[in-house]
Order: sequence, then structure tokens, then C-alpha cells
Amino acid sequence: MTKSPFMTMNNIDKSFNGVSVLKKVTFHVAQGEIHALLGENGAGKSTLMNILGGVHPFDNGSIQINGEEVKITNPRAAQEYGISFIHQELNVVSDLRVYENMFLGSEIRTRYGFLKVDEMCQKTNEILAKLGVDIDPKEYVRNLETSYKQLIEISKALLHKSKLIIMDEPTTSLAEHEVKRLFGLMNNLKQSGVSIIYISHKLKEIKEVCDRYTVLRDGELVGNGSMEEENLDTITKLMVGKSISQERLIQDHTFGSEVLEVNNLSSPGCFSNISFTLKKGEIAGFTGLAGDGRTELFESLFGYRKTYTGEIKINNQLIKIDHPRKAVKAGLGLVPKDRKENAIIKDLSVIHNMSLSSIGHFERVGFIQDKLEKERFQYYKEKLNIKVHNPRITIDKLSGGNQQKVIIAKWLEVDTDIIIFDNPTQGIDIGAKQEIYHQIVSLAEQGKAVIILSSEAPEILKICHQIYVMFQGEITARFKGEEVTEDEIMSYATGSKREAK
Amino acid sequence: MANTKMVKEQKPQMSTIKGRLSWLWSEYSVIIAFIIIFIAASVLSPRFLDMNNQLNILMQVSIIGIVALGMTIVMLSGGIDLSVGSVLVLVGVVTVLALNATGSIWIALLTAFIVGSFAGFLNGVMVAKGRIASFIATLGMMAAARSIALYIAEGGSISGEVSGFTAIANNNLWIFDYPILIFLIMTILVYILMHKTRFGRHVYAIGSNEKAALLSAIRVDRIKIGVYSLAGLLVSIAAIIETSRLNSISSSSSGVQYELDAIAAVIIGGTRMTGGRGKIIGTFFGVLILGILNNMMNLMNVSPHLQGFVKGLIIIIAVVFQKRE
Repeated sequence: MTKSPFMTMNNIDKSFNGVSVLKKVTFHVAQGEIHALLGENGAGKSTLMNILGGVHPFDNGSIQINGEEVKITNPRAAQEYGISFIHQELNVVSDLRVYENMFLGSEIRTRYGFLKVDEMCQKTNEILAKLGVDIDPKEYVRNLETSYKQLIEISKALLHKSKLIIMDEPTTSLAEHEVKRLFGLMNNLKQSGVSIIYISHKLKEIKEVCDRYTVLRDGELVGNGSMEEENLDTITKLMVGKSISQERLIQDHTFGSEVLEVNNLSSPGCFSNISFTLKKGEIAGFTGLAGDGRTELFESLFGYRKTYTGEIKINNQLIKIDHPRKAVKAGLGLVPKDRKENAIIKDLSVIHNMSLSSIGHFERVGFIQDKLEKERFQYYKEKLNIKVHNPRITIDKLSGGNQQKVIIAKWLEVDTDIIIFDNPTQGIDIGAKQEIYHQIVSLAEQGKAVIILSSEAPEILKICHQIYVMFQGEITARFKGEEVTEDEIMSYATGSKREAK
Repeated sequence: MANTKMVKEQKPQMSTIKGRLSWLWSEYSVIIAFIIIFIAASVLSPRFLDMNNQLNILMQVSIIGIVALGMTIVMLSGGIDLSVGSVLVLVGVVTVLALNATGSIWIALLTAFIVGSFAGFLNGVMVAKGRIASFIATLGMMAAARSIALYIAEGGSISGEVSGFTAIANNNLWIFDYPILIFLIMTILVYILMHKTRFGRHVYAIGSNEKAALLSAIRVDRIKIGVYSLAGLLVSIAAIIETSRLNSISSSSSGVQYELDAIAAVIIGGTRMTGGRGKIIGTFFGVLILGILNNMMNLMNVSPHLQGFVKGLIIIIAVVFQKRE
């Protein structure tokens, strides 16, 4: 490349609590290019960008902008160096107008502190015109399409005269025509000399819009180059690499009778035409990218969402599930994702979290018996290796892995025929991960039917008999666990391949 | 062997005096505050420790105390009930009407329980099914219930005409007046309900994390309706005592600001405004603290117009201290 590098990150090291996340990563972006930053979940992309955006400090290395070494200690400093970070969750206030969002925190005021509305609107118009879009600065943001919200963030970046814009998965919530609009815009920006770092899993889009790429894997730089010279397969290979622990944990055993049958389940905007069956002793994995609809699908199955059509049969009985309690009665259990928001009751003790969904097991004549609860907890503590000294402390004092084990104990105690695990190893360390995998496998060996939702393909490959890949709310492929590779899963999850249905 | 070792391990281990004190404070700060205020009061006024005065305090807090128990349950579930004072008056008025019409104390009591818990039930339905913020729903109930009471009693007081009704609040067992006993019994019952039954467990869970509670297969709506109905039932017990005490109830001046006193007691007792955390025993002592403060100010001839100021100060101090946790 003949263009001079606008921004260079040299040999960046970073570790969190002794765990190394980035190892001597070097990354540079030229002026006026769109640069794809690629890697699987946990590869270190976000950490690298957070360092550039001033959210996290780095341990070793240096950052140069226009050849000068800089210290980016906070997001504001990043902005002063011309770096803007557009997060996946957009930071716009829906109840404010377009221009109000644009100038949020840097409003233009008169000497007496009143707002200069006309001036702000005019400047907003100028920037929007530059981007070639036509929206009224006085329109409320809540009335706009999502892509326009993104646009406001981009405009904000331009307002602050940004030279480098980081976009983290900008297209996950966009419709196709909105994606087109965004790409047009990105090309305009490129022409005017602005550099863009583009983080995405969707390789097709990357091929379409990016000039160069950098791939990270397990915190290390594994490759970079020009987009034109490479084909997508090579890049996918770089991203996936040779995982060390590919070893499958399950043995094939004969499955029991069919426990779950789902036919044509649809919910507008979330998922459509989902059909699958599940047998006793079987572990089915559902994978895909963020926003593929799998969480919504199983929240519907579990009765948390009620607006869906299609039929669900459990043990050959047609059933309408409109409350989690009904789901449990029918034999479904759910270990939800986002433990903190959906699973743990932080003010209840460890024991009480364990017994919450099966409190009847511990009652005698209507009163809860502390002793029974405690004894039962001891059993799970040993079985699942939960590390806690005093189980009467509130659950939020435990580490993530131990919290997750308590939640699993909760559902083991309920003892349903089918257990759904949504992202079961989210935010927990490797040791606890392995323990949880073994628990799940042993559940299946005991004849339970298990469903695992995860965006981490290696995890799914490790413990699933049957793998379903989802893309934009549909099942795009279905494999036997042993006959598929991570690359293949990726190509279906990113929508670059589709199984004819 | 292993088992006994486990049990030993589970006891809180406090190696330092400082650690022990901070644990004591975080668990029982309201009791410590109570003891401090109690000692201060006995030093400030020699008459304070007099047995009659002590019983007098208990008698005076019993009505608010019973209301505050219900308020605690509501606030633990993450809500608030502003309608307690108005519902109390409405229950009182309707109860006296039923009493005078039928001449039966039992029918009067039954009427009270039905009216009180039905008002609570309506609050619960509005909050759980109508998804109206509890503050708004019970604010509406507050206005409506008071208005109906005023309409029925034509803005004035109505008095009971059946002898025997007054016995409920004015008789005593040994040295304890009935209202004191009722308050103590209710405290124990509510304590058991909240700490030993699944209802209580579910209320805490909903107040702490409603979504997780729902995903744990708890019938959130039903529990919430139960919470407000129960609070209404407790209000009706308080209403019976209030009415029986003077054998009459004033539709305009009875029950005024009871919601504020009850909320104050709950907050002083350490229950978190957003729910999920707090204790019945805390509310019990919160009620006593408010009672002692009122009593002290009377004994020391503080102008009644200034008493609200002191109460307000205490509430704010209590919350500031709890914030530190």
C-alpha cells in the first residue's frame, strides 16, 4: 500500500486479571481506507478497539497517530485525536431530536446559556448534506429507522472532525436496503479521507466494502492483507485456525423416544418457520451470529414470549405455552443467557437461588425447611464442585462460573426432561467451562434431552449430536455433530451459504 | 465427620473486632439505632421509662405498625402503596355502616376484611395485569377511596351504635391492650409468611429481579396481586382498631398521611425502595423508633408543628446511612 498509515498500534499487550487477552498485536490503518478487523468471539477485537477508543489502558506497546506517539487515556482523549467509536448498541437518545443528539454534550449556547437552535440545525444540515441524506434535523430520533440512528452517530463523528471511525458490527440490526445505504455512506467517507475500522462477522459484506483486513485469533495477529487478493475461504481459515481442544466430549449412544417436536414456529421480526425434533439423550446445538433469533426462539418455547405461531409438541402432546410455569410443567427447563439480568436473584442467598424453582421439594405443611434446603445444596455443591464457604451469602458474591453452577443446580433440582442452555459458558473461566460441558454431557447420558445455544462454534462442535445453524431467524443448515467443520458452520452462519430447503 | 466440619465452616467467620462490628451494623443497624435512641430518650426524660409510657408508645404505634407490615411486603416486591390511609378510612366507614345495619360485630369484621382486601386486589390487578406503575395506580386508589368514604359519610364522622365493638381496641389482657397484642401477633405472622413460606420467597425474588423470577417459573402476576391484597387486608385490621378505639371514624381526618408514616417506618427499618431487600423485623423497629420520637417530643414539649421536621430529618439520615452499604 502506498498510502501512509494514519494510525498504528505497535506490539500491544493486554491482560485482564492475569489472563492475557492481547499478545504483541500490531495493527495499522491507512488514511482513507476501510479496514476490516476480523476474528471469532473472544479473539480480542473488542479489547483492541477499546484500547484505541480510550476505554481500557494497555500494558505494553505504543500507539501512533500521523507518526506521532500518543497517549489515549480516556474516550474524550480519543475523540480529540480524531477517533470515534460507534458501538454495536447505538448511543442515541430516542426521545431527543436529531440535532439535539448531534450536539449532546457540546451544545452551542449564547452568552446567557440559552441554546442556539438555528445554528445547531444549520450545522446538522450541512453534515447531513455532505453525507447525502435528507432528514429533518428537528425530527425525533425515535421516528427514524435504525440505519438513520447509525447515521446520526456517524454525523456526530464528523461533527467532531473525526479522522478514524470504528464501527462495531454496524449491520446486525439493519435491513438489506439500510445496509446498502450504510455502505454508500462509508464509501463517501472514504473518498473524503476518513478511515474506517469495520468489525463484522459477515464476510460477504466485508468483501463488498472493505479494502484491507486484519485477523486476530486468541489475542494474536494471525494475518493481514489486501481484500482483493484473498478469497473468503482463506480468511475464514485464518479466523478459525486449528483449535487445540477440538476433541469431542460425547460418545454416540442410542437415543430414546422423541420428546420435543417443533413445527413451523414463527414470530415476526425474530424467527420464522422453525421446525426440529429432539429425542431423549440427544444434545442439539443451535448456533449462529448475534441477532440470529435463537434466543428469542427458545424464550418463546419457554413461554417468556407469547407472540408466536406454529405448534409445539412435548411427548406427542400438542401444547400451548404462554408462561414459563407451563413450560416447566410440560417438562422444559431454561438456563438463560446474560446470567446477571435473567438468571440470578442477586439479593437471595446461594441456597435460595438453588431452590427457587422447586420450592415444593423443601416444604413441609406449607413451610420451607431450611435444613432440607441446606442438605440438598450440599449435594449439588459436591456434584457440581461449587466453590462457596457459606452458602447463606447472597449469590452475587460468587464468581461467574460458580453462579452458573448454582443456576444449573436449580434446574437439575426441578428435574425436567428437556433442558435448554442459552450461552451456558458466557463470561466464565476455562476450568469451569470444562466442568459445565461434562455436566451437560452426563445429563444426556442420563436420558435428558438437551438444547444448547451458543455463538461459539467450537463449543457446539464439542458437545452436540445435532447442529442447527441459524441466520436471520431461519435455520439455514443442519448437521450431524461429527460431520461438520467450524468453517462450514461459519459460512452458513454468515449467510454466505444456504441449504436449499 | 465431614458434615460437622462443613457446618462449622458456614458460620460467619469474623476475625477482627472491626469486621464483627461492621457485620453487626449492616445486619442490625436499625436495632442498634433503636437502642441508641431508646437510651437517649431515657436520659433526656425520666418519665420515658415509666411502664405506662412504654405501653402508651406501643399502643400509639400499633395501627401504623400493622399498616407498615403490609407496606413492607409491597415495597419488598418492588412497589409502593400510597392508598393505605384512604383505604383505611373507607374500610372504617363501611364497617361502621355494616355494624349499625346488622348489629353483628362478626359481619362488621367480615365486611372490613372484604373491603380492605378488595381495594388491595384492585391495586394488584392494576399493577400486575394493567402494567401501571404502583405509584400511579395506588395514587389513583388513594384519591378514589377517600372520595367514596367522604361521599358515604357526607364529609363527617360516623359512629358505631352497637355496644361491644369498642371492646376490640379498648380491652386488655393483663397489662397489654388488644391493639398491642394484635400488632405483635401480626408481626410474627407476617415474619413467618415472608421468611418461611414460598410466598415470601417469591416476593423477595420478584422485588430483586422480576425477569429472572419469571424465568424461574414464578407466577409473578399472581404473587403481585397477592401482595397488594394482603396489604389491603392488613389495612383493614388497622381500620378496625382505629374505628373501635373511639367507636367512630372521620371520613375527612382519619388516616391522613398514614402512608407517609408507614413508608417512613419501612425505610428506617432498612427495606430498599426498589425492593428485594429488607426485613420484617426492621420495619418493627422502624415503627418503634418513630413512636419513641413522637413520644419524646411530646414529653419534651416540642411544638407539634415542629415534629414533622424532626421526623423528616430522621428518615433522611436513615437513608443516608443505608446508602453506605
